[in-house]
Amino acid sequence: MKINTTGWHKYMGLPALLLFATFFLLPFVRGVGLSLTDWNGFSKPTFIGFSNFIAFFSDERALRDVRTTVLFALASAPLLNLVGLALALLLNKGFRGRVVVRGLLYMPAVISPMIMGSIWYLLLQPKRGLFSILLERVNLSSEMNWMLDGNLALLVLVSVNVWQYAGMTMVIYLAGLQAIPSEHYEAASVEGATSTQIFARIVFPQLLPSLKINSITNIIGSLSVFDVILALTDGGPGYDTESLSIYIMRMSWGNRGGYSTAVAMILFFIILVPVLLALLLFRRTEGI
Amino acid sequence: MFAHTRTKVVLVLLVILVFLMPIGAAGTKEKRVTIRYFSGRVETVAWEEEKIAEFERLHPDIKVEFEFQKDASNVMKVKVASGEIPDITTVVTQEFIDQGIYADLSDAAFWNRILPSVKDLCTDLRSGRQYKVATNVTMGGLFYNRDIFRDLGLSDAQTWQEFVSNLEAIKRAYPDKTPLFLGGKDSWTLGHFVEFWAHGVVKQQLGIPASRQAFLDNAVVWDEPGGIMEHFAQALLELRDKRLINSDAITATYDNQKETFASGDTAVINQGMWVVGDILALNPAMEGNIGFGPFPSVVPGLRPMVLSAEDSVWAISASTEHKDEVMTFLNFMFSAPIQKEFSELRSMPSAFVDVTSDWGVIKDDAKRVIEQYANINFSTEAPSGLSVDDTGRLIQKLLKGDYPTPADFATSYQKLWDSSY
Repeated sequence: MKINTTGWHKYMGLPALLLFATFFLLPFVRGVGLSLTDWNGFSKPTFIGFSNFIAFFSDERALRDVRTTVLFALASAPLLNLVGLALALLLNKGFRGRVVVRGLLYMPAVISPMIMGSIWYLLLQPKRGLFSILLERVNLSSEMNWMLDGNLALLVLVSVNVWQYAGMTMVIYLAGLQAIPSEHYEAASVEGATSTQIFARIVFPQLLPSLKINSITNIIGSLSVFDVILALTDGGPGYDTESLSIYIMRMSWGNRGGYSTAVAMILFFIILVPVLLALLLFRRTEGI
Repeated sequence: MFAHTRTKVVLVLLVILVFLMPIGAAGTKEKRVTIRYFSGRVETVAWEEEKIAEFERLHPDIKVEFEFQKDASNVMKVKVASGEIPDITTVVTQEFIDQGIYADLSDAAFWNRILPSVKDLCTDLRSGRQYKVATNVTMGGLFYNRDIFRDLGLSDAQTWQEFVSNLEAIKRAYPDKTPLFLGGKDSWTLGHFVEFWAHGVVKQQLGIPASRQAFLDNAVVWDEPGGIMEHFAQALLELRDKRLINSDAITATYDNQKETFASGDTAVINQGMWVVGDILALNPAMEGNIGFGPFPSVVPGLRPMVLSAEDSVWAISASTEHKDEVMTFLNFMFSAPIQKEFSELRSMPSAFVDVTSDWGVIKDDAKRVIEQYANINFSTEAPSGLSVDDTGRLIQKLLKGDYPTPADFATSYQKLWDSSY
């Protein structure tokens, strides 16, 4: 008997759909439900409408954390792209030891951000940190405390994040650069194009898919930043460098399960909006 | 032929018997009971595993499933939320007591052996019953470098002014050393300043039972003009402004605090006796050089204080199906020889009156301080949402200069306190 397999392909996506439903849709729907309750983590949740969302907008600490998170992302996401692109352009050229340099630059990305934060904390500590010891050796003050001021600490956090993930961004750009056929460069050279013209007319348009991936992942990664802050500043001094992700965790551990779920929903939209805007922008650019 | 048939019958019977033997044995063998024990005591994991093995050898019918988690209080919340409450736990909070998570231990026989003061601290104020039992007493106060104090002729400060003057003397005589070291990045260490120095004032003024009730009823005013919190903030700012604390007090860690004290670079730290083992591990030569004393009152007219509280608590789940087996295990762990070992391992005095142990290098100082000065407890009745991490962060902001006046700090603390109920 011959089995008719026509139409089976329609069901090939079912396992993926099942996984998506189990690990995203169901928790999301459950999260929406919990965000409308006063659930404290163990008691029976009681429906309280939008009270958690209203409370969020009058919560000074939460609003400061939104500011911190957005500032971090505004600095981190573009910088990651710029540094990653610059490194990719440099390392796309042929020179001896290129592979080793690429490997070294990518290496920080495979280390846990928690460990990375702790390492940088040990390097930056006043008096005891490596940088302070080096400064002392050349008779400079070793008392500089990079984590004492909230703004300066945020700058340090952005720098560490860029240092860690620029290698990953670079690899994606490198893949894009290597996909550009060499004939395009040769033709442009024959036509007498300058290197700036080659970059603007040949390289950049063909790098758009890489830029798209890097922009979206960096926006998501920066707006949901967690580990590096926890290890380097623990959100301090006070709550000056606390991100919204850390706030959600602390509210959850502080027996405010319903409220923390509501904040998680808000963070979801804080991430979703720029991602959608970026996608829209790329769609228009690609359509040109 | 008959003999041959008989042999066959015997053989068949033997085979049947062999097959039936396991069934018979299963019917006679007693069922082994498993009890789940969940602990958050990092320092004693290996020791407890050893004791559990010993217990299981003595009681082959009971298996103790031991689980240890570093972040035990949070893991316990998850366990409670998912209905997987362990039979025995070391994690006890007022919130869980209020929810009826723990069994009433008031009638247990071991209370006859526990110090009455510890039994009082284990008593739930709402019900007057005991839902937890503590096997040890912990103490918190000022640890000081004995050599430095001896060299400068310093002794326990009786007032705030004397305390400041002691630190100033250290700073003058040893400009390269830090008089008082704070590890404020680990904000709980700063939170303990509030717990010891500020809450301690209320505990001394009202006495332990009345202060516990006042915390429970939210009857303490923290932001009174010229009140406790203003004095407390003023005191910390004085230490900062006179450069008597480390310049990186907000960003240094608890590890830094231990290291700098162990190396002799710091003269005084505010800690609990849990720090002693780590200091000695870092520098065994400190053994005869660790002094322990009280902290002065930040409010004038009160005695110096020392934290003397219950430690190493145990509770049983109210829903356990194996209460007898659990009690057998607890009675084993609470036996005098095992508690002697535990006390020496944790470097803490035992709460059992029949246990005499050589628990640590500050034993004599601890005895003297507890007899001489006001004893305070942990603020277990403080609002459930208030964590030492949150209060520590307020102090980070205070030391950073975020509050224009001590009164603003007091207002912020009151706000945090009220919102945590």
